[in-house]
Amino acid sequence: MRRLLKPIQAVALLYLLWQVTSWLFPAWPGPSRVLEILWAQLQDPGFQTALWGSARRMAIGYTAVVIVGIGFGLLIGRLPLLDQITGSLAVALHAIPGAAWVPLAILWFGMTERAVLFTILLGASGIVMVSTDTGIREVPPLVRRAAQTLGARGVKYFWFVVVPAAIPKMVDGLRLAWAFGWRALMAGELLTSVSGLGQRLNQVAKAQQLDALLALMLLLAMVGVVVDGLVFKRLEQAVRVRWGLL
Amino acid sequence: MQVELKHVFKTFRHNGSAVEALHDINLTVADGEFVCLLGPSGCGKSTVIHLVAGLDRPTAGEVLVGGRPVAGPDPSRTVVFQDAALFPWLTVLGNVEFGLRMTGVAPSQRRARAMEYLRLVHLSKFIHAYPHQLSGGMKQRVALARALALQPGILLLDEPFAALDAQTRAVLQNELLEIWELARPTILFVTHNVREATGLADRVYVISSRPGHIRDVQAVAVPRPRHAEDKALLALQHNILGLLGDEVEKVLREELGETVHFPEAQHAVPPEQSRGMHI
Repeated sequence: MRRLLKPIQAVALLYLLWQVTSWLFPAWPGPSRVLEILWAQLQDPGFQTALWGSARRMAIGYTAVVIVGIGFGLLIGRLPLLDQITGSLAVALHAIPGAAWVPLAILWFGMTERAVLFTILLGASGIVMVSTDTGIREVPPLVRRAAQTLGARGVKYFWFVVVPAAIPKMVDGLRLAWAFGWRALMAGELLTSVSGLGQRLNQVAKAQQLDALLALMLLLAMVGVVVDGLVFKRLEQAVRVRWGLL
Repeated sequence: MQVELKHVFKTFRHNGSAVEALHDINLTVADGEFVCLLGPSGCGKSTVIHLVAGLDRPTAGEVLVGGRPVAGPDPSRTVVFQDAALFPWLTVLGNVEFGLRMTGVAPSQRRARAMEYLRLVHLSKFIHAYPHQLSGGMKQRVALARALALQPGILLLDEPFAALDAQTRAVLQNELLEIWELARPTILFVTHNVREATGLADRVYVISSRPGHIRDVQAVAVPRPRHAEDKALLALQHNILGLLGDEVEKVLREELGETVHFPEAQHAVPPEQSRGMHI
């Protein structure tokens, strides 16, 4: 219960500030009105379809990010020659904002779901590659020495020592990739005509429904915070404890 | 398996300048012998362990094991490191099975062999625990079981008990001796504790620092089990401390600053008080 006290205080404070600003500026919808609309939206079948569409795309896109990011990260970590050629490519990939992939995605795939998935993949897998590669390079010397004296060599050394030693770094990357992927998903949906939360944002903005727009943005923030807190923070904590990094 | 170092020199590059860690080291450890390297911190004794383990190469000279030069690490020469160096992602059992898996022991035998050595170090009840759940002493027990499970001809121990409290250390020292008498591996044990060295070893090499060189070799002609109060043992400790008296002072000064005073440096420590003396 104590653990929850701080977040509850923070939310209450935010709510209060929002309420006060809506009193000062009547054009600005207050929190109760926005929450009401959000609640109503969540009951609406059309909105639910959009929500599930986004959730499904995020699930597919993120799975692809995990597979491609870790796979390629392990590959460049394992093969120094490949790393020399393509290692900086992963960094470059990581440097391009997710939204910047949307025009190319639309050019290649049209205004389709595949364009959105492509945006998520390109927008979020770079960070996973880079962090996996870093984890592989930073095997603690003592762990390396212990493994060598116990007969670990070659492929076995890689799979049973290097990869597990890199897991804390990989988890860091996966956590960031979630946030990057979520942004890329919205960018993709905003600019394509695929049914989803991004498209909804577009619609309510065009209709100048400020309260509905705020309700949607609140939902986006909540999903981000909840997934990060319930999944990634816990995962990171569990890994840090076991790996003795705390 | 016999260990022999012939005119071994080791120089490290540090910030562009060369630092000599080992200077003309000559030592032998006979097959099944228990030898301690005793010296102050920074004297290069851990470097000797690394050289014999094959984790590092000498700048000059020869490191021979069973008459053959050491080419690299080998599971016949296992190491127990000061801070255990367990794999945090593996359970106690997983850590002890690790070397067996790496060297291709069949899965069915792996488990049985790991359990055998875990029993030997009294950890049978903790096989599913992870390293972060263990105390320092328990971690060293796992490290010892992990090193022994490969049934090495040579066991290298790099200040394995230095970070433990006195009681735990004494218990583990006795257990190490029991294990050694059972399997009789050749042991090279590094320590900076005079009492530990003389309590365990057949022979003690006394190493001086900067650069590390062998100051003296002392045979411990006291039959086991040895008692802390044994007159011959105390005399030997006194002798070694006297030999290193100036070095003790030098190292303590460097570690503690200039506030340490030794009124009669060499003979100030009566044998009764010198037993737990670290140098």
